[in-house]
Amino acid sequence: MMSVTHDATPKLAVRGVTQTFVIDDAREPLVALDNIDLAIPRGRFVCLIGESGCGKSTLLRIMAGLLEPSAGEVLHDGKAVRGVNQALGFVFQQDAVFPWLTVEKNVAYGPRSRGVPAPERERLVDHWCRAVGLEAFRKAYPKQLSGGMRKRVDLARAYANSPDVLLMDEPFAALDVQTKASMQEAVLGLWESTQKTVVFVTHDLDEAVFLSDVVVVLASRPGRVHATIDNPLARPRNEATRMSDAFAAAKRELWNAMQAARTANITPAAAARAGSAEAPPHPHTSPRSRVAS
Amino acid sequence: MSRPASRGARRFLLRPSWIVGALSLGAVVGFYWLMALRPDANPGLVPPPPQILATFIAELRTGDLLANTLASIQRVLIGYVIGAGLALVLGALAGWFRWWGYVLNPIIDALRPIPALAYIPLVIVWVGIGEPSRLIIIALAVFKPCVVNARAGMMEVAQIYVDAARTLGASRWRVFRTVALPSAIPYFIAGMRTGVSTGFLALVAAELIAAPSGLGFMIQNAGQYFRTDVTIVGIVVIGLLGALLDQMANRAGRALTAWSDVRREP
Repeated sequence: MMSVTHDATPKLAVRGVTQTFVIDDAREPLVALDNIDLAIPRGRFVCLIGESGCGKSTLLRIMAGLLEPSAGEVLHDGKAVRGVNQALGFVFQQDAVFPWLTVEKNVAYGPRSRGVPAPERERLVDHWCRAVGLEAFRKAYPKQLSGGMRKRVDLARAYANSPDVLLMDEPFAALDVQTKASMQEAVLGLWESTQKTVVFVTHDLDEAVFLSDVVVVLASRPGRVHATIDNPLARPRNEATRMSDAFAAAKRELWNAMQAARTANITPAAAARAGSAEAPPHPHTSPRSRVAS
Repeated sequence: MSRPASRGARRFLLRPSWIVGALSLGAVVGFYWLMALRPDANPGLVPPPPQILATFIAELRTGDLLANTLASIQRVLIGYVIGAGLALVLGALAGWFRWWGYVLNPIIDALRPIPALAYIPLVIVWVGIGEPSRLIIIALAVFKPCVVNARAGMMEVAQIYVDAARTLGASRWRVFRTVALPSAIPYFIAGMRTGVSTGFLALVAAELIAAPSGLGFMIQNAGQYFRTDVTIVGIVVIGLLGALLDQMANRAGRALTAWSDVRREP
């Protein structure tokens, strides 16, 4: 599992994914995602960032198989996946913890679904409840927990299912600043200890800089990859990292990229394309780069 | 965890809900009493409350009241279990699985506007005037609100929980069993509580079908002999019984939805 082979096959790859939505029959379908190519290298922490409406959550749902793209495909370890990819874990933006199950039963849900035998299940629940700091609340129902604690349950539930990749859709968007910061550290801790690939959608610059190895900047209307930026920030990262000059510099670079993505939207060509379903083969005003592996 | 574990009976009875509830019920009885005491009132037709109480005790002594009550309880329970059981199973399937919906929805929606009592003549012709007819009528009456609510509950299941379960590796059947059913429980309870009242409604009507016993029979019989006091005793017992069953359904519902953070006041 932990072999140090330099496998060229990306963990997850998105190839030519286009997503159109029919808003009403009278108008042309809306192009939410336009011919997206993306490669997520094994073991990396990749953030997808973009302003709201750029289709980043849609893209993540397509990667999970929760949504079937209008065109294109998603490859997992080089193999095309159809339907919900149950080898991936998903952490949702909304509160997705089952309110009718206790914390430990929530965490055990995935292993139970897969028929993991009881002793092993018990061990997984023990381990992951402790990993997210919820061992004292195992018998509690979600309504008795705060929003941040429920997110911890959600994380533990996703990790306890031993997923191959974790997809996180703005999981901390609804949390206050301090809770958010501690959750980000928790996520980094989980990522460092498991070495599992994470794709993390956010609209928050600080979050993307603090967490990522690589940031993919998406432009909107239609959603497309604007740039892929390597995050130079050293690891391990902690509270001090957030106050460092390097952090500020990385954040500035990302901000500039996002601004550029924004101005790319208002070129006449992009404006003309935004209403059209027929996307030209290369609809990008800036070069599309692949994530370097 | 958020509520005190135990509470004295005294405090329980002193709760505003009980005091106000008793006062409001007392006002109804008081108004009736005033009507009964009017000089032009006929005590044979409008018996004052003490007389009704005396009749109640007398009926208890002869054992008739108890026998009739037990007969009705048995009838209503059997009819209820059949009607509600079928309704929950079919409603859950119709509301969740597309093809079950295609098959069952037209039937459910066609049944909806028809009062259960409208089937009485048909049931008598087909099944006769025995006990099965009465059970069928009650079951039909309970079935309707239960099936409509169960189906609605399954159609309101939040997509986010379904998506979460699917990404966690749950099969379609497991999603149905562990996500859809539990999250629809509040709707099931609502349907089952409505079913208690429609069940009692049908009970009295069903016992008009040549029933040898039961509270409906008792009321009907007493009415024919102008025993208004006995009729009122029967009516009050039905009311109490219905309230009791409704409370039991409510308690069961709360126990099953202890996880929910929805508003709990009636």
